[in-house]
Amino acid sequence: MEFFERFAIPHPSAPIYASMVAIGLTVIAIVAGLTYFKKWGYLWREWLTTVDHKRIGIMYLISALLMLFRGGVDAIMMRSQTAIPENTLLDAQHYNEVFTTHGIVMIIFMAMPFIYALMNFVVPLQIGARDVAFPRLNALSFWLFFMGAMLFNISFVIGGSPDAGWTAYFPLAGNEFSTSVGTNYYALALQIAGLGTLMSGINFIVTILKMRAPGITLMKMPMFTWSALTANVIVVFAFPVLTVALIMMTMDRLFGTHFFATTNGGMDMLWANLFWVWGHPEVYILILPAFGVYSEVISTFARRNLYGYKSMVASMVGISFLSFLVWTHHFFTMGQGALTNSIFSVTTMAIAIPTGIKIFNWLFTMWKGKIEFTVPMLYAVGFIPIFTIGGVTGVMLAMASADYQYHNTMFLVAHFHYTIIPGVVFAMIAGLTYWWPKMFGFMLNERIGKWAFWFIAISFNVTFFPMFFTGLDGQARRMYTYSEATGFGPLNMLSFIGALGLAVGFALIAYNVYYSTRYASRNISADPWDARTLEWATQSPVPAYNFAITPQANSSEAFWDAKKKGHELFKGEVQKIHMPSNSGVPFIMSCIFFIWGFSFVFSLWIPAILATIGIFICMAQRSFERDPGYYISVKEIKETESKLRGA
Amino acid sequence: MMELFPRKQVIGFGFSLLLTAIALAVYFFDLSFTAGMTILLVTAFVQAAVQLVVFMHAGETGDKGSIYTNIYYSLAIALVTVFGTLLCMIWGYV
Amino acid sequence: MKIDHSLPLEYGTDQNQLNILGFWIFLGAEIMLFGTLFASYFTLVDRTGSGPSGAEIFEITPVLIETIVLLTSSFVIGLGVHAMRIGRTKAMITFYAITLLLGLTFLGVEIYEFMHYVHIGAGLQVSAFTAILLTTLGTHGAHVTFGLVWGFFIILQVRKHGITPETANKSFIFSLYWHFLDVVWIFIFSFVYLKGMM
Ligand code: HEM
Ligand SMILES: [Cu+2]
Repeated sequence: MEFFERFAIPHPSAPIYASMVAIGLTVIAIVAGLTYFKKWGYLWREWLTTVDHKRIGIMYLISALLMLFRGGVDAIMMRSQTAIPENTLLDAQHYNEVFTTHGIVMIIFMAMPFIYALMNFVVPLQIGARDVAFPRLNALSFWLFFMGAMLFNISFVIGGSPDAGWTAYFPLAGNEFSTSVGTNYYALALQIAGLGTLMSGINFIVTILKMRAPGITLMKMPMFTWSALTANVIVVFAFPVLTVALIMMTMDRLFGTHFFATTNGGMDMLWANLFWVWGHPEVYILILPAFGVYSEVISTFARRNLYGYKSMVASMVGISFLSFLVWTHHFFTMGQGALTNSIFSVTTMAIAIPTGIKIFNWLFTMWKGKIEFTVPMLYAVGFIPIFTIGGVTGVMLAMASADYQYHNTMFLVAHFHYTIIPGVVFAMIAGLTYWWPKMFGFMLNERIGKWAFWFIAISFNVTFFPMFFTGLDGQARRMYTYSEATGFGPLNMLSFIGALGLAVGFALIAYNVYYSTRYASRNISADPWDARTLEWATQSPVPAYNFAITPQANSSEAFWDAKKKGHELFKGEVQKIHMPSNSGVPFIMSCIFFIWGFSFVFSLWIPAILATIGIFICMAQRSFERDPGYYISVKEIKETESKLRGA
Repeated sequence: MMELFPRKQVIGFGFSLLLTAIALAVYFFDLSFTAGMTILLVTAFVQAAVQLVVFMHAGETGDKGSIYTNIYYSLAIALVTVFGTLLCMIWGYV
Repeated sequence: MKIDHSLPLEYGTDQNQLNILGFWIFLGAEIMLFGTLFASYFTLVDRTGSGPSGAEIFEITPVLIETIVLLTSSFVIGLGVHAMRIGRTKAMITFYAITLLLGLTFLGVEIYEFMHYVHIGAGLQVSAFTAILLTTLGTHGAHVTFGLVWGFFIILQVRKHGITPETANKSFIFSLYWHFLDVVWIFIFSFVYLKGMM
C-alpha cells in the first residue's frame, strides 16, 4: 500500500474525484468503441503510424482543440472564483493549481500544437513540396508533444498538479515549498514536449530552405511560409535553453543539487533568467505564424497582393533576432540596477517597431482592396485594433521604472491576453476556418462562424479590459480572492460575465464543426475562397502525394498568376512519386518516453532505467533500418486525380 | 583523383596543437586577468574556426550560405545569452 | 534513386543533402545548449557555498591528457572522412575505430576525474558551483558516450554495406558531431579549466 500512496492526490476535492471517474469512463468508452466498431487496425494504420504531414497536422489540430477546452475550463474556474469578493468556490491551493495548469496548457499544449497544425498542413503545400524534409521525425515530434501533453494532464488525478505558476519561479518551485510531485510533472512534461518541438523546428527549416518547388526563391515564398521559417528559427535557438533550465530544475528537485536553491551558493534568480531567455522568444514563436495567417487572409479577402512584401519579411527576420535581446523585461523588479534595465527597456521598445510596420502593411493592403468580410477576415480585421492595445500596453510595461507599478498586477495579465488572444487565438481560428476546406473538403458554416466571432470579440474585451483598471488600482495577479473593501468586486464580476461569453463563443465554434460536418455541401471547388497561393492549386481534400506534377512558380502568388495572368503551373508529365513508408516506431518510442517521464516524476528508478534503454533501442533500430519507401504509380495518380476532379 | 595525402587535415591538426600550447601560457605564466582572457578568447575562437573550416567542411556545397548563417546566428545569440545573463545576474548588482 | 556524381558521395542524393543541412541546424541548437550551460557556469562559478572553488580542485595533467586525446581523435576522424572520399573502406574503418578508441580513453580519464572530485568533497550536491561544473562536463561527456555507441553502429554498417551514399552520409554526419564535441571541449578547456586555474 505504501508504494501506491505516492500516487494519491495531496489535496483532493469532489471535482477531482469526479474528473477521475470521468477520465476512467472516457477511456473505457474509447476502448470499447474502437473494439466494437473494429477500428483498431484503422487507427493504427492510418493515424498512429502515419508520416504524412497532412495527417500529422490534423492530429495536432485535434490535440490543440482538446487542450483549448481543458485550458478554457481552468479559465472559467478562475473567473468564477474571483467573480465576487471572498468567494469560497476554490481554496488557495486549488486556485494555484488552476492558474498554473491554465498557463502551461494554453501556451505549450494549445497554442504550440495549433501553430504546428497549420504549419504542418500548409507549409509543404505552399512551397509545392511532397512532404517535410524528415517525415519520420515529424511523426516523432508530434507523438513526443502528445505524450508530453498527456503526462501533464494526468497530473491532476495522479499525484497532484503543479502549483507554482506557469513560470515556476524558484524558490517556490523547489522541494521546500512545492512538496507534491506537481512541479516534477511540469519539468518532465515540458521536457518531452520541448524535444518534439525542437525537432519540428529543424524539420521545418530544412523543408523550407531546401524543398521549394522550382521558381520559389526565398523572396517569392508566401508570407505564411516566411512566418513559419522565422518562427522555427526561434524554436531551434530558444528551446535548448528551456531544455537546460528544465534539466537543472529536475536535478534540484530529484537529486538534491543547488542550482536554484537558496543555500550552498544556489541562485533562484538564475531560473527566472533562463526561463525568460526561452520564454520571451517563445511568445514570438506563437505570434509570428499568426502574423503569417493574417497576411494570407488579408490579401485573399482584400483581393489584393500584400502591401510591402519586403518590409514584412524584414520585420519578421528582425523580430526573430530581436526577440532574443529583451528577456529581462520580465523581471525589471529583480534589482539588477538602472543600467541593465535601461538596456533591456530600449531593446524591448525596439521590438514594437517591426510589429508596427506589419500593422501598417496590413492596413495598406486593405486600404486599396475590395474587402469581403468572411469569417477569417473578420478575425483579421478584429485583430488589428485589439492587438494594438496589447502592443501599446506592452510598451508601457517596457518602461522599466513604470513597470515597478504594473508588474505582477492584473494590468500585466490584461496586456498579455490582449496580445495572445487576438494574436494567436484569433489567428488560429481564422486559419482553421480558412484552410478547413483544404483539410476536409467542406466549408464551415459562415453564419454560425460570424456569431461565434462576435461573441468572442466582444466578450474578450468585456473580460480583459476591466483588468487594466483593477491592475492599476493594485489588484495583484494570481491572488485567489480579495476583500470587499478593495472595491475590485464589480469589475471582476464583469470579467466573469465576459468569460462566460467567451465560453459561448467557443461552444459555437464546436457546434459549427458538428453542424458543418453534418450539413455542409461536399460539392465545393478546390479553391472556394478564390485564393492566391499554391496550396489551393491542388485538389481538396489533398491527395497523399500533394501535387501530381511539381508546380512551377513565378511569384509569391503563383496560383493567382495562374488564374488571372495565364501563368502555367503544372508543366510536364505525371511521373511516379516516391513516398516514405509508415512506421510505428515514433509512436512506440513516445509511449516509452511517457513511461520514462512518469517514472522520473515519481522517482521510480528501475522503470526509468528500463525506459531509457527502450528509448536507445528505438534509436538503434532507426540507425540500422533500411527504409526505401515506396512509389505511387502514374496510373494510380491519374485515377486519383480524375476521381477528385470529378467530385 | 583526390590527392592521397590529407595535407589540409595535417596542417589543421598542427595548428590546433599550436593554439592549445599558446593557451597553456595562461597557466604557466603569471598573466593579468585581462591578458589571460584575451589569449583564451582568441585561441578558443580561432581553434573553433579551424575545426569548422578544415575538418567540418562547412563551406563546400551550395548550402554554404545556410550553414554559415546558422552558425553565426547561433553564436551571436549564444553570446548575447551569456553576456546578458552576466549583466542580469552579476554585473548589474555592483 | 538519383545520384549526383559532381559532389562527394555523402551529398549524393537529395535526402543526403537534407540530412546534412538538418544536422548543421541541430548543431546550431547545440551551440545554444552549451551556450546556456556556459552562461549558467559563469553565473555560478564563484558561488561555492561551503565547498571548494575551481582553483582548489582542478588539476592540469588529466585535463591536458583529455585535451590532447580529443584533439587527436578529431584529427583522426578527419582522416577517416578523407579516406572515405577516396574510397578506401579499410582505411576509413580503421580511422573511425581509432577515433572511438581515443574517445573511450577520453571518457575513462573524465570518469577518473569525476571520481576524484567526489572523493575530495566536490560532489554534485556540494554547492551551486560543483553542480554546474559537473553538469557542464557531464553534458559534454554524455554526448561523447552517445557518440561512442553511435560511431560503433556506423562502423558496423560500413563494414556490412561498404561505402554507399547512405553509409557515407551517416559517417559524414557522425564526423560533424565528433568535431563539434571537440569544439565544445576547447571552450570547456579554455573557460572552465584554464580560466579557473589562471
Ligand atoms: C509591442 C510588443 C510588446 C512589448 C513591448 C511587450 C512587453 C512586455 C513586458 C515589458 C512584459 C513584462 C511585464 C511585467 O512582468 O511586469 C510583458 C509580459 C508578457 N508579454 Fe508582452 N510585450 C509585447 C508583445 C507581446 C506579444 C506579441 C506577446 C504574445 C504573443 C506577449 C506576451 C506576453 C506574456 C505572456 C507576458 C507575461 C508573462 C507572465 O509574466 O506570465 N507580449 N510584455
Ligand atoms: Cu517578453
